[in-house]
Amino acid sequence: MARATDKKYDHLFQLLLCGDSSVGKTCLISRFADNEFRHTHINTIGIDFKLKLFTIRDKKIRMQIWDTAGQERYETLTAQYYRKAQGIILVYDITREETFRNVTKWLRNIEDHGVKGVKIILIGNKVDLESERKISTRHGQKLANQHNIKFFETSAWKDINVTEAFTELAEQILAKVESGGGRDRGSSSIRESAIKLHEQQPTPATKSHGGCCSGGSSN
Amino acid sequence: MADKKSSFWKRGNDTKLPGRAQPVANSPDLRPRSKTFEEYEKDTNDAWDDEAEDLSHLSSPVKPLEFNHTGSGEFDVKFSGKKAPLKSRIKEVVKPRSHTTGGMSTSGGGTGVQHSGSDSRRNAPQDTGRIRSMSPPSDPFDDIPDRETIKLQKFGKLLAGPNTDLEQLRKLSWSGIPSSVRATTWQLLCGYLPVNIDRREETLQRKRSEYLKLIDQYYHMRDDSIHKDTFRQIHIDVPRMNPSIPLFQQSIVQECFERILFIWSMRHPASGYVQGINDLVTPFFVVYLSYYISGDKNAETYDLSLLPNSTLNMIEADSFWCLQKLLEGIQDNYTLAQPGIQTKVMRLKDIMKRIDGSLHSHLERNSVDYLQFAFRWMNNLLMREFQLRSVIRIWDSYLSEADGFATLHVFVCAALLLKFSSEIQSKKDFQEIMIFLQNLPTSAWTDDDVQLLLAESFKLKYMFADAPGHLQN
Repeated sequence: MARATDKKYDHLFQLLLCGDSSVGKTCLISRFADNEFRHTHINTIGIDFKLKLFTIRDKKIRMQIWDTAGQERYETLTAQYYRKAQGIILVYDITREETFRNVTKWLRNIEDHGVKGVKIILIGNKVDLESERKISTRHGQKLANQHNIKFFETSAWKDINVTEAFTELAEQILAKVESGGGRDRGSSSIRESAIKLHEQQPTPATKSHGGCCSGGSSN
Repeated sequence: MADKKSSFWKRGNDTKLPGRAQPVANSPDLRPRSKTFEEYEKDTNDAWDDEAEDLSHLSSPVKPLEFNHTGSGEFDVKFSGKKAPLKSRIKEVVKPRSHTTGGMSTSGGGTGVQHSGSDSRRNAPQDTGRIRSMSPPSDPFDDIPDRETIKLQKFGKLLAGPNTDLEQLRKLSWSGIPSSVRATTWQLLCGYLPVNIDRREETLQRKRSEYLKLIDQYYHMRDDSIHKDTFRQIHIDVPRMNPSIPLFQQSIVQECFERILFIWSMRHPASGYVQGINDLVTPFFVVYLSYYISGDKNAETYDLSLLPNSTLNMIEADSFWCLQKLLEGIQDNYTLAQPGIQTKVMRLKDIMKRIDGSLHSHLERNSVDYLQFAFRWMNNLLMREFQLRSVIRIWDSYLSEADGFATLHVFVCAALLLKFSSEIQSKKDFQEIMIFLQNLPTSAWTDDDVQLLLAESFKLKYMFADAPGHLQN
């Protein structure tokens, strides 16, 4: 059959974007995959899929990019995509503090659901809104350093650093694949960083709700 | 009561209803294995009124009907064979509405129907009316105005009371509701308006003032620490919905949506607000707005500053209550882990395995999981897959069934996959299939495309409903 020879790429990488609602995940993907930016766009429901072909070091890479909805309710659905992802881009919005605070929550999700050794990068998006900036570059960089992951500040609108960020992630995955550290193998930065995470962030908001049965009602 | 119900199902001489499966035990001949849809259709011709527009012709190659697209999304139907039963054209149009009328129960009902002469065309609702009684001058056989007019008359009679027969209304509505009576009909089908015409005005007033009280009771809580995340999510989502429709870009509309969604969410903590529920308000809002604006104005581009505040309040309240009714039937789509969606996607998968094994294997072979594309279909009731006007037409049928948004919807999804089966099978890998399924080429779909889809869904539902065993092998 012709199918096997139809293969027009050297590697197939699976990427996933996560982060709070409206930080610009879909816009980053549209910029990277289609070089498009729309000021008005629809919120992502559940999970979306995009494809991008590009070349690094003479290797043709076919990237499957999964775009997730930011709302917590979709976590059950999106969890299974964490398991498939070789690389994850975690996005916050530099103009909204809570989206930065939640980065630790998203890292915990990756720890819970992602494969061991998944490559992660952190993106502070919307640098075009400099006057509304709430999170300094230094803060973003510091958090990334703590978790031993690469950090980029981007603008999907002005096309700043978007390709660079995706390329960095692809490079990391490629390096890992070429060094024989296939999926589900190799050393993990996330495991280590996750340990730090627990040490440094003892009171995650999500944990405060569940689990405990004290104060149960009488009916 | 039981008597009344069973007499409905067996009204007259064994009349069958659109969208209603007959118990298999009573009609063993109707098993899909022994009957084609065409055969079944002949058997059930009496389910459709001869004079009213029906769906049955859509799936039958022998009926002499042709669709003639007008380009504006509306369509004319002409007979190329037998002429319609009416020899003379009786024109009936619905009175233009006034902004000052408070309730829609009377003006939208039979009392609003008037006879007029040949000049009636000038008064006929255009877009919102979508009755489309105009025919190209060169087409002497265009009989759709008669069919539509008769249908409208039937609606008029039913809505006029004194007590609207809900089952008759459902039967009539399944194949599409004329837009001039859609608002009232939807409210009746939702169970929001009482069937007794004398109680409608009073009910509307009560519910509308009740909604105002809910705003007072809940809306100030949007800044409370435990609720502010919910409100923030709503506030982020509302401006992002339907970017192509100017109506929803107006801040006055967005504020209405924020109130509706926040209050609903406060009253339904088991699910709370989930992204996508915002989309579900839009059909109600547009249909109820259309009711108050004159027929030649398109609700989707309407400038709401032209509308009195009191009218807008009524539209908001009515949309809220009807959204609540709609969500009652599908709340498990939005509770933790969204079990309703999981179940419906599984059901879709089972149906497809049964009706299109080749497509099903193609998806499996390429590792396409139904949840990957159908999650959104269930979560947003296909609202991202169709133009709003098509969604509204589909909702005519959903609202005509007791649990249309839960049950019929899955069959519509199945019919959609069937419709694109060969195209999906022509895509040769996971990527191509997913990209196609996420961007189904439905943007140019016309009313008759939607009708065909619904006819197919009806057929499938009929095959499977009350016969779950069909799903097991």
